[in-house]
Amino acid sequence: MVNRKYNTKEIALGAAFLLLLLVVVTLYILYQAEAVQLGYRIAGLEDRVARMKEEIKKLETKKAGLLSLRRVEGIAREDLGLTDPKPGQVLYEGIDIPREKKGR
Amino acid sequence: MRGLFSNGMRPRAVALAMVLAVWFVAAFGRLVDLQILNHGRLKAEVLGQSQTDMEVLPKRGTIFDRNGKILARSLPAQSVFFSPLKSESAAKQMEQVMRLKDPLRLSEKELSRIRTRVQKKESFIWIKRKIDPEAAGRVMGLNIKGIFLQEENKRFYPLGTLAAHVLGGVGIDDNGLAGVELQYDPLLEGEKGRRLILRDARRRSYQFETLKEAVPGNDLYLTIDETIQYIAETELEKAIASSGADWGTVIIADPKTGEILAIANRPVYDPNDYPPAVPGEGVNRAIQHTFEPGSTFKIITAAAARELGRVGLGETYDCREGSISVGGNLVGDHKRLGILSFPGVFIESSNVGVIMIAQEIGERNLYQMIKTFRFGERTGIDLPGEEYGICRPLSSWKKSSLRIAIGYEISVTAVQVLRAMNVFATRGRLVRPSISLGAGVRGLSGPGTQEPLKILSEGTASELAEIFKRVVDEGTGLSAKLEGFDIAGKTGTAQKFDEELGRYSSAKHLASFVGFVPADDPAICMIVVLDEPKGLMQYGGQVAAPAFRDISARVLRYLRAAPKPKAETLVAAKMAKARRP
Repeated sequence: MVNRKYNTKEIALGAAFLLLLLVVVTLYILYQAEAVQLGYRIAGLEDRVARMKEEIKKLETKKAGLLSLRRVEGIAREDLGLTDPKPGQVLYEGIDIPREKKGR
Repeated sequence: MRGLFSNGMRPRAVALAMVLAVWFVAAFGRLVDLQILNHGRLKAEVLGQSQTDMEVLPKRGTIFDRNGKILARSLPAQSVFFSPLKSESAAKQMEQVMRLKDPLRLSEKELSRIRTRVQKKESFIWIKRKIDPEAAGRVMGLNIKGIFLQEENKRFYPLGTLAAHVLGGVGIDDNGLAGVELQYDPLLEGEKGRRLILRDARRRSYQFETLKEAVPGNDLYLTIDETIQYIAETELEKAIASSGADWGTVIIADPKTGEILAIANRPVYDPNDYPPAVPGEGVNRAIQHTFEPGSTFKIITAAAARELGRVGLGETYDCREGSISVGGNLVGDHKRLGILSFPGVFIESSNVGVIMIAQEIGERNLYQMIKTFRFGERTGIDLPGEEYGICRPLSSWKKSSLRIAIGYEISVTAVQVLRAMNVFATRGRLVRPSISLGAGVRGLSGPGTQEPLKILSEGTASELAEIFKRVVDEGTGLSAKLEGFDIAGKTGTAQKFDEELGRYSSAKHLASFVGFVPADDPAICMIVVLDEPKGLMQYGGQVAAPAFRDISARVLRYLRAAPKPKAETLVAAKMAKARRP
């Protein structure tokens, strides 16, 4: 059996190829790792969005409760001392309703 | 050196070999038992201990009013469950549960339920469902083995008791039990999902694996207007407080489409705590309670007289006697009236006059008109539990049954009377009332948008609407009169039948008022019913008509319907205009 002698050029080429392979594999692993990381982040953000949506719904429901007419009327009458308008105090926009003249 | 099989060692070697052989056979036998003979049972047992397949309830759809205001919505809430180790004794398992007694305020009844299920060796036991977030935090802080939280949905009704009878309520599993929650349950509920709970041998940790995602339910838009509903409820409360009535109901509808804008009932319950503590509170009296309507039913007799009986408007009726016998029963007027014209009979709500008209038109015509107005049938409103009412067939009428002309011997619901009055508001069309605008998209065709049925000629309907306007202007409905608006309506005061006395009571009445406003181009059609008002004022014209007026005033202002100018000021306006350059 005769051992073939590699010349320096061939060894350098082989080393370069191996290095390139190593770089590619490393980059691929890094890419994969980054993709997984991004996947986690996306999943986390999606989860956060879902939670925020739920929070919005919760706040909307709370707002609906706070704006309930019974509560608003209670505040208007008891805290602010407002009363119902008398018939003459209601103005109708865009409708020509003559007002009674004073002093007649 | 002695060999293994030398004389001294041989028996011992044989003995050891036999022991090993027996051990091997025993171990092999056990393996066969575990892996082959009892494989199925043991595998199921292991899976049962390490996995639990549970149902995931979907998020129920939101219910909105016609303007997109939230009436009911499901929000996440935590539920606590117990997944005990089978190897632990029931006493030990209960010890773990008892640690939750104070944080979750578990009642004795709840503990007893849990104890029963622990003794039955159940692998999944609800401890408490839909608890508040603070309580959930306390439970997790205790870090009790076998105690877990499961996210579920809880139904919230942010407006409390508002429109309670329309909305109904849901059970602990978010299933509709009453109102639109029940009627539209298939639409609102969505599709159930499945989830696998994975646990280790000691159940120290767990993991959820979704087998099937739950599909959320559809949203639903109602015809109800939150503001009009609120007005109806507050004014009904006032009317009940001032009259001392036992209960009351108000229905407001859009005459043209039949869309219900408000259904108010008192007494009421909070749908957040469904089912109501007092059983009667859950009854939607607008559609689920029948009663003899009394004089509001005279609108049917009037329609029959003009449409079928060909009774002239100019005909007169002598009501001076103040009473008339119908099949041996004396029917009287609320006061002594004179000779009345056809319109006068209805304006003054003379029982005697109406009976005379009924005798003139005949039972057959009267019955035909009652059936034309669909009494004795459901209106088809999209709410569960609607009553039919009772309208006996003509063949079973007695001589006294002619009292049906004045609203006795017939049983109706408030929504049936409202639909009947609506025929005059729409100038002859029978419109089906509806409560839903549709699912998901506002304005989608709801069940009530079907073509109305023409049951009365426009001439008759308009003519009678004019008479009903005079009921308010000069008749029994005077207290419903509203400055700036023409109201057409009819009062009703029905004596209630006293089961103990076996006759109609002179002290117990059902007062009502049904009408529409503005009379010429109606924006709303409404009925007010008050049961057994107390004190001196018990007539429909005295207690229900003022409520009708007050509700109308506020609703019309909300709808931005302008009042008619006064005649005097109209002249002044013309003069003012004339002065302009």
